[in-house]
Amino acid sequence: MICDDALAAVSEHADGELDAPGADRLAAHLAGCAECRDFDRHVRDLRAGLRFEPVTGAPDIAGPVLARLRRDAGRQIDPARRPERRRPLVAAAVAAVAGLVAGATFVGLGATPPSPAAAGVPARVVAAQGTVHSLDADFRLSEDGRPGPGPERRSFAGHLAYRAPESLALTLAEDGGARGTGAAARLVVDRDHWWQRTARACSPAAGLVRCPEVRATATRAVADRAPFSDASPVPLELVTPVDSFALAGTPVDLGTRTVAGRRAVGVRVTAAQVAPLLAGLGAGVDLRPVYPGDPAELWLDDQYLVPLALLVRAGDDPGRAPWARSQGVADRPGAAVVRFTVRAATVNGPVAAGAFAVPGGAGPGAGEVRADEGFRSTRGRPTGGPVATYLPPGFRRYRAGTVATPGGPGVAVQSWTDGRAWLTVRSTADWPGGHLFGDLGGEVRPVDLGGAGRGYAGADGRRVALHGRGVDVVVEGSVPAADLRAVAAGLGVRGERVPAGWAEAATATRRAAATALPGLLVPRAGGGFAAPAVRVDERTVSQVASGAGDRGFVLVQAPAAHLPPPSDGDEVGVTVRGRPGRYSYGLGQLDWIEDGVARSLRSGTLTLADLVGVADRLERA
Amino acid sequence: MQEPDPATIRAAAGGDLAAFEDLVRAYQQHVWRFLRRLVGDATVAEDLAQEVFLRVFHRLPTYAFQAKFSTWLFQIARNAGIDELRSRQRRARLLRALPPAPPPGPGAAEARTEIDAALAALPADLRETMVLIEVFGLPYAEAAAVMGVAVGTVKSRMFTARRRTQAWAAPGEGEGGRGVAR
Repeated sequence: MICDDALAAVSEHADGELDAPGADRLAAHLAGCAECRDFDRHVRDLRAGLRFEPVTGAPDIAGPVLARLRRDAGRQIDPARRPERRRPLVAAAVAAVAGLVAGATFVGLGATPPSPAAAGVPARVVAAQGTVHSLDADFRLSEDGRPGPGPERRSFAGHLAYRAPESLALTLAEDGGARGTGAAARLVVDRDHWWQRTARACSPAAGLVRCPEVRATATRAVADRAPFSDASPVPLELVTPVDSFALAGTPVDLGTRTVAGRRAVGVRVTAAQVAPLLAGLGAGVDLRPVYPGDPAELWLDDQYLVPLALLVRAGDDPGRAPWARSQGVADRPGAAVVRFTVRAATVNGPVAAGAFAVPGGAGPGAGEVRADEGFRSTRGRPTGGPVATYLPPGFRRYRAGTVATPGGPGVAVQSWTDGRAWLTVRSTADWPGGHLFGDLGGEVRPVDLGGAGRGYAGADGRRVALHGRGVDVVVEGSVPAADLRAVAAGLGVRGERVPAGWAEAATATRRAAATALPGLLVPRAGGGFAAPAVRVDERTVSQVASGAGDRGFVLVQAPAAHLPPPSDGDEVGVTVRGRPGRYSYGLGQLDWIEDGVARSLRSGTLTLADLVGVADRLERA
Repeated sequence: MQEPDPATIRAAAGGDLAAFEDLVRAYQQHVWRFLRRLVGDATVAEDLAQEVFLRVFHRLPTYAFQAKFSTWLFQIARNAGIDELRSRQRRARLLRALPPAPPPGPGAAEARTEIDAALAALPADLRETMVLIEVFGLPYAEAAAVMGVAVGTVKSRMFTARRRTQAWAAPGEGEGGRGVAR
């Protein structure tokens, strides 16, 4: 037995998956091999530590869950009433086609002829960000059908002030009235300061049960904030919805109308696509959950592409009913869910003095959390980071400096802006490794940077990382992916392949993946999704593709003669690429077998109709 | 892990909240521990665990007894955890309200052991494999069913995860490699 085999056998043996002769061979090898014995000891220690943890501190889950279910029962949500049962394949195929048609008329899956006006909107949004330098807007925001014990409807008066590149003040005041509480939320960001007061000390994650039923406010203040920091973000989507459109396909055209005295162009998209905009709008007030497949009508200023109105309605997608039950909401199809309307807006006008003054003064108040991001400006002196030789036209130097966090690597940060558009280069000489610097997520895509070697792009195309000799760099920004790559290629750093032990080591090119799995299907270019990140684990190929906003899917393929038995009872039969397949509403997963390979498409933000459309556009690698 | 009485499952599926409560109490700790290891945060895991059981309640009428109940339950929990991890990076860019304040009193600040740190440094796919097999003792075939991957993938992931945590725990490597993804 050689060491590589023995090490693998140690792992299998620990899990009781090694047969008796294998165990005997392993024992013989261990007797004479210190390295394998070390590994064996590590495996045992790890198990002891993981399995025999103290069980104190486990929270009570049953109490709040049952309380929620009893409340829901009072709201006439009958768990025993199930609209979807297992249906015969033919009927379900008809239903799937009907779903496609409904989806096409409702959310625009391509059946509506694209119009030239709407076709240009995604590119115009991305281009317009450089033209917006300030914004002052009064708006109304309302929501209907809130789950939980509070009022079902809430409305707010809002005000937004913005000055490029990252000074922003957003205020939301809930209307009074019979059940209103007059709660207010406010966010103020001014370069290196970030301050937020939320109306409720509760995370807005969907379906939360633990939210306190009494109103509470909480305040968080951040000082020494790094430029365009992820940890203290600015809702720039309210100024120009770049994240909602950067990867978008052609939306459905709604024509033009006047909003707040301004000419507006309308598009119909899905709530998943405008999720970044919705998240910004609901900052600090815990908006109700929104079904990702619901249709959203968005009206954008015709000149600056600033959002002027948004209406999300409850759609009629078949997957909505199980989702609504899980969230404790019950919306009539067609009912307004969230509505945002600008009443008055001035673009590129003067901004009131003191608009971005961070409240504060006499030390932390009750319930206030203070944080320091550790950014120090180098005041015009070099940061020690690589020098950018290429910048997109119009970009000018913005803040630059260093960030030092206890126990973390020293990081040099440089930034450039053009109106609302921004770009950062972060670099470090002491990255400990294990995965790429820059938090790109588990799935990345190798990109060829010419003379600058190999870079890695995150699945959503918004970051490009370089692992160089003695330096690790990440380029990030709101600009198109091609600009990010050009900036990365001009940094004078030669990118290398990540070391074998890093998380991204299984990253593969399409060609390598096709070799590992003959018959591999890949998404056709375009279609509203970025080129996917590809990962190969033995003969299993995973592709992760991101679209506009929160839209995205995972495609996993592995050799198999037939699908595994369904573990869930809510699957329906569907026709996929002319073959029988099945779809689980609960898992959001579409499975089928094609040419001896099991294909599985999963998404938390696309509907069955969307997924069938994605499947139809797959092609041989 | 013990399988529940099918009669309890059927009663809960029919809307019997007392029966459902029995199910939640039997599995709440497993689900919470699994999610805590997967997402690395006890409070987020608690919220997710509540969401998981709400989903379970609404989907129980469709549970077909074709897979083990625990496999089915872990599938739902696993998808909730993976969705949370996937959306975390994107959500970081968006504006978020404040997370719930940590509960006061002793025991709130969870001591992060070296093993927690080693686990947290693993990518999500290796981490979930490790938790299913090491913490819950699932056989490879069941872990494969939960994650929707081949048995061979589980085997290789376990090996890689163990080698990586060994490298992490090796003397001299120190505290690097996690929490500094900036």
